[in-house]
Order: sequence, then C-alpha cells, then structure tokens
Amino acid sequence: MVKGLFDIFRSAELLTVTIDPDAPISESRFVVLDTELTGLDQRRDSLISIGALRMAGSKIELGTYFDRMINPERVMNPKSVVIHGVMPSEVELEPPLKPILGEFLSYCKDSVLVGHCIDVDLFYLNKELRALLGRELGYPVVDTYSLYEWLTGRGVLRPQKASGGASTALFAIADDLGIPAASAHTALGDAYTTAQVFQRFLSMLRREEITTIGGLLRIGNPAGGGTRALPAGQMSNF
Amino acid sequence: MNMIIGEIVEFLGKVPPFQLLDEPQLTAVAHGVSLEFYPKGTLILKQGGKASEYLYVIKKGGIRVSRSTADEGDVTIDYRSEGDLFGYLSLFGGDKSRANVVTAEDTICYQIDRATVRKLLDTNEGVREFFLKSFLNIYIDKTFKEMHDKSMSTSSADRIMFTATVGEIASKNVITAPDSISIREAAGIMCQNKISAVVLTDANGLPSGIVTDRDLRGKVVARGRDVNEPVRYVMSAPLIRSDARDLCFEAVLKMIRYNIHHLLVVKDGAMCGMLTNHDLMLLHGNSPLSIARDIEEQQSVEGLAGVSRQVTGIVGMLMKEGARASSIVRVITEINDRLVRKLLEIAERKYGQPPLRYCWIAFGSEGRKEQTFRTDQDNAIIHADPATPHEADSAERYFSGFASFVRESLVQCGVPLCPAGFMASNPKWCQPLKNWKKYFSQWIAEPTASAVLNSVTFFDFRSVHGERMLAEELRDFLCSQLKDRKVFLGYIANMAIKNRPPIGFLKTFVVEKSGEHKDMLNMKIKGLAPIVDLVRLFALEKQARETSTLERIRALKGKHSIVTEYGEELAQAFEFIMLLRMQHQFDQVTKGNMPDNFINPETLTPLEKKTAKEAFHLISRVQDMVIERYKHMIW
Repeated sequence: MVKGLFDIFRSAELLTVTIDPDAPISESRFVVLDTELTGLDQRRDSLISIGALRMAGSKIELGTYFDRMINPERVMNPKSVVIHGVMPSEVELEPPLKPILGEFLSYCKDSVLVGHCIDVDLFYLNKELRALLGRELGYPVVDTYSLYEWLTGRGVLRPQKASGGASTALFAIADDLGIPAASAHTALGDAYTTAQVFQRFLSMLRREEITTIGGLLRIGNPAGGGTRALPAGQMSNF
Repeated sequence: MNMIIGEIVEFLGKVPPFQLLDEPQLTAVAHGVSLEFYPKGTLILKQGGKASEYLYVIKKGGIRVSRSTADEGDVTIDYRSEGDLFGYLSLFGGDKSRANVVTAEDTICYQIDRATVRKLLDTNEGVREFFLKSFLNIYIDKTFKEMHDKSMSTSSADRIMFTATVGEIASKNVITAPDSISIREAAGIMCQNKISAVVLTDANGLPSGIVTDRDLRGKVVARGRDVNEPVRYVMSAPLIRSDARDLCFEAVLKMIRYNIHHLLVVKDGAMCGMLTNHDLMLLHGNSPLSIARDIEEQQSVEGLAGVSRQVTGIVGMLMKEGARASSIVRVITEINDRLVRKLLEIAERKYGQPPLRYCWIAFGSEGRKEQTFRTDQDNAIIHADPATPHEADSAERYFSGFASFVRESLVQCGVPLCPAGFMASNPKWCQPLKNWKKYFSQWIAEPTASAVLNSVTFFDFRSVHGERMLAEELRDFLCSQLKDRKVFLGYIANMAIKNRPPIGFLKTFVVEKSGEHKDMLNMKIKGLAPIVDLVRLFALEKQARETSTLERIRALKGKHSIVTEYGEELAQAFEFIMLLRMQHQFDQVTKGNMPDNFINPETLTPLEKKTAKEAFHLISRVQDMVIERYKHMIW
C-alpha cells in the first residue's frame, strides 16, 4: 500500500520513479486510471478492464487513451455484470491479462498515478502484477477523493450529500462542477470523468498555492483522506 | 470508436471548418486533441507573447479577444463562445501572439496540435479556404459565410456551381484598352461593344485595372468628374482574378468577398476571359433579371402563374450566393410588385378604364417590402373621392368586380387569400381617400384592440400601382394625425414590448412548451416581430414616411435617440434573423412543405446560436428602453 509523503517503494520488486518534490505540477505527467472489477471480494475477484488517460499538467491528452478489456479467466460475479454491463461472453473474447499489464506499465511510465479512491484500483492491479510479473506499481499516487476532502475541508468546494459511497461521490462531484458524466461505469469513461474532476481540482489548488508535485502528493495521499464510505473493512487488509 | 473520440467527433462535426470533414478525417483529428480547463480570468494568449501552440476550439464557456494599444489601452475586438476558434493566426502566422485572449468565464477548450492542423490544411481544400478567407473576416461576415456554406452543403440542387469551372462559363472575348485613354473614351468603348466593363492595360500591355458601369456611375457621374481625365484615375485596381480552373462557387465567393461583379479569368498566367455575376446567374437559368423579363412578356394570368413559381428558386439562388437577407427581400419585392402590376394591367384591360383614379396599396410585410416566400394577400384600393353619388355608385361597381378578379388571379399565382379579409375585394378596404382618412383618424383617436391591430397592419402601406399621389396624400394625413398622440403611441408601445425574445438563449432556449411545435423557437414572433414593432413605433413617433424596417432605421438615425444609438445593431439583428428564417423556409419549400416560422434551436450552429443570442439581448434591451419611456402607459 502506498504510504505517506515520499515513501516511494524502494524494493527491487517495485516499479519506482524518482520524483522531485519541487517540480511544478504544470510540468508533471499524470496517468488518470480506473479499473472495473468482477466484484469486490479481494480473494476471488479480479480486473475486467483498465481505462486511463494521460495528462500533462492540467491538460488531458485525449488521443492517447488506454482502454483495454481483460479476460479474467474466472467466472464473473453476476452482480458486477449488473453494475458495469460487461457480459462474460464479451470479456472472454479479450486477450489475457499478462500482456495487457505489461502495456499498462509502460503506459504509466514516469507518471504520477491519479484515481478516485485509487487504492481499490491499485489493490487489484498490484495483486495481478505480483502474480504475473512479480512486481508492483511503485509510482507516486494521488487520490482525487483525498483532494476532494481537502478542498471541502478548506471551504473551497461544497461538500456533496452523496449517498452510496465514495465512488458514487465522483459523479456527484463531477455533476456539481458541470462535468457531464459520459458513459459512466466503463473504465475509460470513469477515468475521463476523474481526469476532468482532477483538472478542476488542480485549478483550485493553484489558487490555494499548491503548485508543486510534493504539495499535491501530500494532500492527495490516499491514506490521508477522511472516512471512506467504501467498504473500509476490506481495505484494512492491505 | 470509443466514447472519448466519439465525443470529440460529435462536437467538431458541428463546428466550422471541421464540419466539412467526414468521419474518418474527424477521427484522425480527434487523436491529436487535448482538453484544457481555464478558470475565468485566465490569460491564455498574451499579445506580443509566445505564439499559440494549438488551435483552440471552445467546448464550453467563452473568451474575450483584445488588443492593447498605446493610446486606447486594452480594446476588446471580439467575444467568442462555444464552437468558436482562436489561436490560429499565431499558430501559423508568426512567432508571437497578435492579441490577448482572456477567459470571460470558466472555459474548457479542445486544443488541436499544430501538426494535426497543418495536415488538415495540406490535405483539405475546404479547411484551407475557411482559414485563409473567413477567419480574417469580421464577425458578421463569418456568420453569413457559414450559413452560406450550410445552404450549399444541404442542397443538392444547382450542382453545376460545384462542377462547372470558371473557364467554361466565362466570356472569352475580353475588351481591353490602354489605361492612358480618357474616361469618355473608355465609356465609348463600353457602349460600342455593349459591355459592362473594360479591362485596362499598362504600358507593358499587362492588365492594370478594370473600369465598370459602377465605377462610371459612382466615381465619375456622381462626383461630377471631368470625363477627359485619364481613365486610370477611376479604374478599380488591383484586378481581382480567378483561375480558369477554379470552380464557379469559388468565383462567387470572391465576388461576394470583394463586393465586385467582374472577375478577370486567367489561365497559365495569361488573361483569357471575364466572368460577371450575370454569367453566374444565367447558369441557374432563373436569374432575377430573367424572371423580371418573363413577367413583362406575359399577357395572361396563366402565363404569370407559371413565371411566379420560379420565385422560390430565386430565393434559393440568392441565398447560395451569400446575399444578405435585405438584398434578397429587395429582389423578391421587386419581382412581386411587377407581378401585381402586370395583373392589374390585365385587369384594367379586362374591365376598361376605371371611373375614378385609384391607387393599389400593399401593407403588412408586403408594405414593408419584407416578403420572402409569398405570404397572404395584403392589399387595398384608395380611389379618388367621388364628386357625385352617381360617381360613387359606378366606382363601387367597377372596383368590386376588378378587385375580385385580381384577388382570384393572385391566388392562381400562388398568393393565398388573407384569412382576415385584408384585401381590396373586401368593400371595407376599397374606399375613397376621405374614408381612409376617417378610418385612420378614428383608429388613432380610439385605440381599441381592433383599431390597434388595423393600425399596425395598414400604417405600413405603400403604393404599388396606380395614382401614387393618393397614397402620398394619405401618408401626409397620417403623419399630421400622429403628432402628440401619446395615448395611441402608448398602445403601439405595448404591442412592441409584448413579445419578449428568449434571453437564456445559449443555455436553454425559451421555446414552445407544448403542441405541434414543442421545443421549437418561433423566429417570427420572438425575433422579427419585436424588431418590426419597435421600429414602427419609433417611425410613428417621429412621423417618418418610410415603411420598411431597414429604411425606417436609416431615416431615423440622428432623429430618434434610440435608433441613433442602436439602429446599426438593430438592422444587423434584423438581417440575421430574417436570413435564418429565410433559410429555414427555403428548406421547407424545397421539400414541398408549407413554410413556417418554427426553428429547432438544436439545428443552429454554435456561431448562429451566439449571433441569435446577441440579437435577442439587443431586442430585449431596446424593449426595456421603450418600457422606461412609456412606463405610465404600460400594462
């Protein structure tokens, strides 16, 4: 699990990146990601799809998206079919996970990873990475939910009366910022929504004089956020 | 296509010049697109600062373009909003930005990188044309050009404009003369050869300019210039050229752009012909001129009915050539007037000389010369006051038969009956001058609901045929009656502010809430009528004699404070809405439907939406001023 500030993983097994904490946000590269899962059971469930977009500072590079479906080689949990609308038959036609993960790793190269409640995504990504490649994603991580809590705490942003957990809060936040929730609940669609939310947050943070990557990582640390509406018990294991 | 690319393609597909691209091309462009957010007040480009690295397309929000000058400080040049572009000039035009671009509200832009735009320019003629030409034009021209492009792309008729080359239709024998000859000699050459323009050559025999009928009229006759002066003093230079291989529509664009009627045609660098707007009109076979001639030649109602059916084609053609709405309605008015006159001549032959002098008047939109696709009949007869009861009787008998015949003939020519019975065949509207005066003074003195309705309809009257002096005398009388009629004008003011235009235009249109036209915008009631009503009110206040909205605006400038301040903008707004409506109706007529005034706002391009929004804001502002002036009489 990603710990605090600059405690970037040093282990040889991890993919790490050295980030200068004084580097300006506007010159940093980000990968905003979202994954869809077969379910939320950590032992049994796994990835169905990965969607991601690159950002250069606050600019979203729309043309270089990452959008892959994965054959989980497992029976899907019928509940997640209901949520994501991905049928098992669709997924089975997709290539297996290993090469996709390789592609994704190089896609993320030298970037700060961004996601909404990203520790869930990272848990499953790292689980697969460990099993298949013997490595984990060691990149610095920013959680837009932590940023959201920080911004509402400062009174910059209006708190959402969202029910149903942090992930639905993403859409409430997006809606409040006037960001249309385009094809929600596909990995790429959610990554796009997250990227646009992150884009607005960066502009707010600039006004709060958060301009360096170090400052961003401090307040965007996934562990730093307040109470999560997401199944917290499951998180505590990792 | 995934949703990210799909979203870009869908958006750009509605935005000029990207709307010229097909889907694979748009998809390719989309892969070079980034999305950036700028909070309100962000300086995106700085005059004299770094050149733009992208072509920006505003996805949401708006920007202000300004230039800093030494003496005037920061001067706003333009506002742009959703669907508009910026950053093009400095992207390719040099090493620094030409203007300041600041976001006027929170703004999201698509950024298209230089390589992608470069590639588009290299591979797509239409895109190149758009940037090279219309991007530099002032805003209003851009809008017209866009509408013009749209009408070209939606209509499959008149393909010849896109397939015939300039070389094919240009006149081959161009008359040239040395530019050292006198004006008189040049005019002599033009008369001799029955041509409207002569190309002038310099000492080396190369074309140096052109002198046209228009130059002779405007620069010589109107200014009383000595005709023995060298013609080169009055010639138009430089010569605008067109390549013989250009398509005709490109030549039309050039003519519209430079406001000229003659293009020199060159082939491999050598002069090979002359193209006139008349050549282009003949290409369509139904130019306004040829229709006017056809009308003159007809001797029967049946013949006229045949010719009148071509009028729709004329509107379409003029629209395609990018004519302004005011020019189009002028042409249509001229043609319709000729048609009516011809019918009246036929009627006079059939019924013999009228027992009393009469004047055939038109009112309503016909009186204002604002007809497009033919609307209802709106006509009446003013005849001279009879001296004896016997004369009155015979006039009544004569004109009732005469007017009924004209009414039926007009129907045959495709002009429907007026449902309100505002026609000369109605005895009420076929009256001696003294009775018309009585009507008018009574309506003004007692402005009941029907009197006000009659006033706004009939007060836009003008003479079409017959004894013009009768109409003039009635107009004199009306003007004299209107002095200090605050109460009556109060009623007219109420009418002018009754229909408030939809103001929340850009975000949500105020549209019809139910019924057949649900979610549609009534361009006549919400857009045209308020302007017509406001300007009529101003004209009545100042007793102006003009009846057309644009003529009234011109006449009142300097005389009426609101018109002096807002006249120009009102005229532009009026032109714009009229053209939108015309285009809409033309589409309907060509599809064989009845024309109506209901436009679906979703079908407007971002540029049209923006212009319409500005027009509606203006109308509302002027209405507020009227409310302020008449506040004691507004209910």
